[in-house]
Amino acid sequence: MTPALIWRWPTPNGLPPLPLVGGVLALLAGLWLTAPIVEVDFVRLIGSFGRMLAFAGQMFVTPDWEYVPQLLAKMLETIEMTVLSTAIAIVVSLPLGILAASNATPHPVVYRLTRDLLSLMRALPELVWALVFVSAVGLGPLPGVMALAFVTVGFMGKFFAESIEVVDHKAVEGVRAHGAGWLQVRLFAMLPQALPDFVGTVMYILDHNLRAAAILGLVGAGGIGYDLVMSMRLFQYDRLLLIALAIYVVVTVLDRASDRLRSRIIHGRRA
Amino acid sequence: MSAISIQSVSKRFPNGFEALKGIDAEIRSGSFTVVLGPSGAGKSTLLRLMNGLETPTTGMVRIDGEIVDRRKVRHIRSRVAMVFQQFNLVDRLSVVTNVLTGRLAHRSWVGSVFYLFRQEDLGIAREALCRVGLIDKAWSRADKLSGGQQQRVGIARALAQRPKVILADEPVASLDPVSSEEIMTLLREICDRDGITVVVNLHQVDLARRFADRIIGMNGGRIVFDGKPEEMTQSVLRTIYQREGIEDDTSLDMALAYA
Repeated sequence: MTPALIWRWPTPNGLPPLPLVGGVLALLAGLWLTAPIVEVDFVRLIGSFGRMLAFAGQMFVTPDWEYVPQLLAKMLETIEMTVLSTAIAIVVSLPLGILAASNATPHPVVYRLTRDLLSLMRALPELVWALVFVSAVGLGPLPGVMALAFVTVGFMGKFFAESIEVVDHKAVEGVRAHGAGWLQVRLFAMLPQALPDFVGTVMYILDHNLRAAAILGLVGAGGIGYDLVMSMRLFQYDRLLLIALAIYVVVTVLDRASDRLRSRIIHGRRA
Repeated sequence: MSAISIQSVSKRFPNGFEALKGIDAEIRSGSFTVVLGPSGAGKSTLLRLMNGLETPTTGMVRIDGEIVDRRKVRHIRSRVAMVFQQFNLVDRLSVVTNVLTGRLAHRSWVGSVFYLFRQEDLGIAREALCRVGLIDKAWSRADKLSGGQQQRVGIARALAQRPKVILADEPVASLDPVSSEEIMTLLREICDRDGITVVVNLHQVDLARRFADRIIGMNGGRIVFDGKPEEMTQSVLRTIYQREGIEDDTSLDMALAYA
């Protein structure tokens, strides 16, 4: 009799599933072999550690307080770009999300076309769309807002659609069985159920758009981005420090607010 | 006159399962009918056909003489309410909003876009909630209520529709005995007082005996018994609950000994 083993995997033969083990090993081997293509080289990484420290050390400077008023103005512009583009995207994404959800779409063809449209919109990053809109409407925050709203619809529409697809079908049937019409079923049975997910998506996208808006200045599309890049190129670390800090503070505040809002919606008014 | 008329209805699902194999039945207006039968007998499918949630493969269902078909389904549903085993409320909406969804059949989408209802609709919803004894919970969220209370909201939603017929699919299957009693009494009272035709699918033989005017027994997609509760003898129950391919069914004997 073979000695009894104490440990086993929950599979018929007690061994780990072969395809999974093989797959993970193959993936690791593939990564090991292809890492040199992107110049991931551990020797070089360790060698450059000193220079990284030196760069971090340069951030320990007295902040350039003179710059604060301009920083606040630019941050406000960045936040305004973020909120406005997200708001525009919500209005456009809601109907598109319904059309792109397999359980809410009026027809499979509409579903397919809407899905394709959404992936086209998010195919290129904000920065590239910003370049397109800057050449179309000129420099300033307007092309930035347009680019952000455009890409955001691509993501938000997809996320909304996926939240609608997982709503409880029983409630949908309950409302439908009482004679509610096409739009009424979507408004009264699907949207309330998808709402917490929607809020989560919107808060995540606000966070993402703020960071995206912070670099659009790079191509002249408004926001803090221009100052960020210039202070880096001109070695003005006293400004860079303040800019990084300002972005961090806004993202953190947004994160806290999103947690509160979500738990209120999930658990009802009195959480 | 018959409120519901079922004429040689059969239903085969796309996966090949034949849920109903030729059903004929007339259900009298204002009566209380219980459909009994084992799981998989086709009780739910039969009920869902009466509401247009399923379409028959052959045959037809008429409500007040009108054929239930795809084009007229909303019109039919405005008069045929449904109560579900799992209540099927929208958890995140308030109790009163859930009841108001029973009014949607009578309202166009224009107001609905803004979640607007008429004052009279709110009056109807309040009245329905008083009827089921939950007016004090009107503004609670539906998922904060107990199972029995949620089912009463389901019945209030059905009442708010001002229906001719209420179909109840296993309305007490997920409730404790006391709540079950309340729900059945409520349905019976609605039938007697408002003259609404009630059709209930049940698993509990004793509840069927006590509340029904008429019992329809189903097995394997066919009607195997149709009569008054007092006509339902042990041998009838045996026919309703017998299982195919099992000769000496001790479980069946035991179950019926206490039914």
